[in-house]
Amino acid sequence: MTGATPSTDGLPARSRGVIALLEENCTVCMLCARECPDWCIYIESHQEPVPGTEYGGEDPARAPAGRGRQRVRNVLDRFAIDFSLCMYCGICVEACPYDALFWSPEFSYAETDIAALTHEQGRLREWMWTVPPPPAHDEGQRPPQD
Amino acid sequence: MAPEEIIAAVGGGLPPEVGCEADHRGVMLRVPHGHWLAALAFARERLDCDFFDWLTAVDEADEGFSVVVHVYSLAGRHHVLLATPLPRSSPRLPTATGIYRGAAWHERETHEMFGIGFDGHPHLAPLLLPDGFEGHPLRKDFVLAARVAKEWPGVKEPGERPVPRAEQPAPGAQQPVPGAERPAPGAERPVPRARRRGPPHVPDGWGPA
Amino acid sequence: MAAVDLPLPGVAGRARTGPGPGVITVDAGGGCSLRVFDAGLACCGVEVAAALRRSGALATATSGQQLSVFIVAGTVTDKLAPYVLEAFQDTPLPRRVLSFGACANSGGPYWDSYCVTKGVDQFIPVDVYVPGCPPRPEALLAGLTLVLRAGE
Repeated sequence: MTGATPSTDGLPARSRGVIALLEENCTVCMLCARECPDWCIYIESHQEPVPGTEYGGEDPARAPAGRGRQRVRNVLDRFAIDFSLCMYCGICVEACPYDALFWSPEFSYAETDIAALTHEQGRLREWMWTVPPPPAHDEGQRPPQD
Repeated sequence: MAPEEIIAAVGGGLPPEVGCEADHRGVMLRVPHGHWLAALAFARERLDCDFFDWLTAVDEADEGFSVVVHVYSLAGRHHVLLATPLPRSSPRLPTATGIYRGAAWHERETHEMFGIGFDGHPHLAPLLLPDGFEGHPLRKDFVLAARVAKEWPGVKEPGERPVPRAEQPAPGAQQPVPGAERPAPGAERPVPRARRRGPPHVPDGWGPA
Repeated sequence: MAAVDLPLPGVAGRARTGPGPGVITVDAGGGCSLRVFDAGLACCGVEVAAALRRSGALATATSGQQLSVFIVAGTVTDKLAPYVLEAFQDTPLPRRVLSFGACANSGGPYWDSYCVTKGVDQFIPVDVYVPGCPPRPEALLAGLTLVLRAGE
């Protein structure tokens, strides 16, 4: 009888334990929040100008005459997944076009307070360290598209 | 029995008002209101459909309701669907429990979910809903309160700052598209409300409270 | 056979026709045993049954008492809620409540339903929430470990 955290060794490949966020890949396209059937992904963001793309910029030759516009990019303020609602369907992971969401097999994150089951950005990034490398393709599987 | 035999038997045994068509799933009988019990008895006795599978209703919006029954013949291995249309105001139908005892609980559920009355049912009490539940949940005009009360997380456009709900314009209010003048460098473009998408499977008529 | 020969379907009152409530004693070491009352209402009940059949590793508790754990595993509908409350009140003291799975935590995939209680903590005090849909059997053992830890 040990009190150690249950091991995730020996679990099948692609086990669905928890969802991890690689925020460097996230462009705040909102597809995961929109596709989630449980409405359990909460995203807040704002726009920021991209430095170096002001009208004219550093190289006047690059600015098209009379039509340039400041480029903006989306900046993620808050990305939270409420795991008390999540049904682990994986639609968000599949919908993300930028590979920012990953499955991790970790499963022992029970809490005594239900609010603590809403994992914010920092904790979702922590789960990334537990994401296993992609498993080898199964025999007879359709070859990868890319 | 093959579908052609069933259609022939129906043509010979039931009034011509009862429509009959066959597809890959089985035979479908479209029964006018007055011939409901006769059609069920015919299915049980003449078509050998001794297995009662389910009875439910479909909310057909403007066309009212239709009550659908699925019965199966264990010996002949054929499925038969019977459907009857009901008007939207005060939908009533004679009970099928005199012919198929298994319809008892199905009719109770259909009664509480759609509000369809079944005359002659021995015990038409609510089956699945708690006491004091108001409304008929499976009707299309029943508002699913949870999807109205909770704000859809996807309502914001990418990069849009969250606006408190009290300050949001009413849905449907037209706003001028701010595309005429060039926005200042770095400024955010407000999203016109008319172009804003709503959550999936939430009709426009519901709207936030 | 004519239809009228058969009786109408009905409910046989409150008489118990199936097996009694599942009470399983899990040895937590140190003289502490957990008596687990599983309200297996839906799919999560299968995972709880699988977990309780295995000999998993639990934390060693320091107190040598017998603790009752009431596990709600599965979707709680508004119709069934009074009976779940009754079963909770029948659980002997000292007792803890473990909410197992998304449906018992918050309504889960059925959060928007007209007849689903959005979390068993609406009417029962919950000590530990185990997330998952359904959680693994090992997650239940981790949750029971947290019950022991939280009680100390």
